[in-house]
Amino acid sequence: MQRDVGSLPLSPALRARLLAAGFQTAQELLETGPCGLSKEIGISREEALEALQVVRQECAGDAAKTAGGSGSTRKCTALELLEEEQTQGFIITFCSALDNILGGGVQLTKITEICGAPGVGKTQLCMQLAVDVQIPECFGGVAGEAVFIDTEGSFMVDRAADIATACVRHCQLIAEAHQEEDHLQALETFSLESILSHIYYFRCRDYIELLAQVYLLPDFLSEHSKVRLVVIDGIAFPFRHDFEDLSLRTRLLNGLAQQLIIIANDHKSAVVLTNQMTTRFGQNQSMLVPALGESWGHAATVRLIFHWDNTQRLATLYKSPSQKESTIPYNITTFHLLKSFKIIKLRASGLPRCAASTCHPKCRRY
Amino acid sequence: MATKKLRRAKLSQELCERLSRYQITTCQDFLCLSLLELMKVTGESYRNVQKLLRKVSLACAPKMQTAYEMKVRRSINPSAAFLPTSLHSLDKVLHGGIPCGSLTELTSPPGCGKTQFCITMSVLATLPVSMGGLDGAVIYIDTESAFSAERLIEIAGNRFPTYFDSDEKLFCMTRSIHLYRELTCDSVLKRIKSLEEEIISKKIKLIIIDSVASVVRKEFDTKLQGNLAERSNFLARGASLLKYVAEEFSIPVILTNQITTSLSNGLAIPADLVSPAHDLSLSEVTGASGSGKKESACVTAALGNTWSHSVNTRLILQYHDLLTRQIVIAKSPVAPFSTFFYTVEKSGLVLQVIHS
Repeated sequence: MQRDVGSLPLSPALRARLLAAGFQTAQELLETGPCGLSKEIGISREEALEALQVVRQECAGDAAKTAGGSGSTRKCTALELLEEEQTQGFIITFCSALDNILGGGVQLTKITEICGAPGVGKTQLCMQLAVDVQIPECFGGVAGEAVFIDTEGSFMVDRAADIATACVRHCQLIAEAHQEEDHLQALETFSLESILSHIYYFRCRDYIELLAQVYLLPDFLSEHSKVRLVVIDGIAFPFRHDFEDLSLRTRLLNGLAQQLIIIANDHKSAVVLTNQMTTRFGQNQSMLVPALGESWGHAATVRLIFHWDNTQRLATLYKSPSQKESTIPYNITTFHLLKSFKIIKLRASGLPRCAASTCHPKCRRY
Repeated sequence: MATKKLRRAKLSQELCERLSRYQITTCQDFLCLSLLELMKVTGESYRNVQKLLRKVSLACAPKMQTAYEMKVRRSINPSAAFLPTSLHSLDKVLHGGIPCGSLTELTSPPGCGKTQFCITMSVLATLPVSMGGLDGAVIYIDTESAFSAERLIEIAGNRFPTYFDSDEKLFCMTRSIHLYRELTCDSVLKRIKSLEEEIISKKIKLIIIDSVASVVRKEFDTKLQGNLAERSNFLARGASLLKYVAEEFSIPVILTNQITTSLSNGLAIPADLVSPAHDLSLSEVTGASGSGKKESACVTAALGNTWSHSVNTRLILQYHDLLTRQIVIAKSPVAPFSTFFYTVEKSGLVLQVIHS
């Protein structure tokens, strides 16, 4: 009630007028009433009423916060957070070595960034994750939907369909091996059509469309509350050309990062971004570093770098608050399984293929 | 979309006039401002500014489609998703051929057959759908003056002798290949910008640019300061225009590139700079100064890292021995690494099977 007039979210012109007229606290405004306010400042009665409604809403929100209710800030103890984190699901990638170094898979409510040279497999992993997020809970998944924002045009529907078919087949094998009721029930709704219909695809051609889409994303996620994964494939591409003003670019990227963090937390979804690599010329060597500059490195919580070593693809966990830095090899495969089915999935080289009986460690039944 | 004027974003007239006083006329200007700046400029409260942001975003944001809708649309017209190259093993691995709606790059040292491949693809695009073509016209942007109409007729006549049995059919085919000779970067960019209208008026189904690298490397010398950034800018702008056109009309775009040797002069090239499809056969050359410092070199596609990110599919042509060459799929969202051997004959490229 004692809130200063200058801190209220009114339009600047109105604020300036109120301060010039000598109003100091919100209490004074509420006491004056709309008619008195309109006469004193010289605005219409409707405008005065609108301003008072804003003030009243702000004060009500403040009161709720001081009373300890849930406002825009959350208070909880570390124990509550621990319990929440332990029950939280991961989005598995079907490559157990990759899931291991990530600590179980791609985490919800966190931003994960995947950097890599062209052709190394970033889009493949994103398509895999968009399918894996939909795995029903009885198979160890989070049963969510996916939003795929594509800035480079590298999303191939046929490939996504192949990955989805493989995933369905994998779950069918598990169900056949264990013959449980809820498995068979879940499989009825888990099909190729349902997987593809729950991948919401946006094609953004430049950075303005990307910014606009991210502004609209909270509304979209409120309508589609089952979304658990937001993929932005190619966050670097629209920002890397035609930008003379680098400080504007940094500001827009920071704003984007903040909005994505809010989205990840409020809607309990994972945000996955892919970044490009750029060459940095140092004194002794030229090396590949993630694009978009140093300050962008702070945006993501977890950073994975995909690179080559001769003919082997490697994934390095570069930044993570909870896991150790490590590197694992991986392959992108396609091979035949059971006559006409092709299973295409990321698979750690050297480790045995995921057999139905020794499934992913997250499937607690096995 | 970014240059959309605000009055078409359904903002009120007086608001647009007020904003134009601050030089904010397009959606791009509006969305680049922070919330506080927007409040100052529009004179609205915090809540109203957020509502305005949402309105402007709605005007700019892309439409949503589910992956299922995309698949259904593709399955209605399966032949429109790829342009078969008539090299059967290559087509099988590529799930049909050169994909429509994305950029395909062809890289090779000189003389391997890039232009031959491009000429063959031009012939294929004019064939009717029943024979695996796209039944449309072709735009061929030639920067090296390497296109030869006689070779075009030779390939057409030898590859499809039963179809091109009369002169009439040959002339019909040649009439639908539109050749443009562009010799500078600016003219190439201008030509790319004019593509949208040409595609609609001439019913184009394939765009070929042969070659991007020659015109870019003529004009930009990356050792001079500032040229690297300008070159990347030009390439990125060209790439995004071509991608827009390719996706909008769902047609394939083929670009050709050159090979460059990147010498590092004593600096070690980290192994993750190049993918295994690049030829490392020139590595480990000792330095000319004789100081014993190793000067490793490797052969990569020209035009830099950023360009490599822009193209969706990359095919590399290389020499295998005196007569045979090989084609390597270096980057593709649907195909793994594969190698095929071929020779260049009268009828164009012909796949060979090498028994070791």
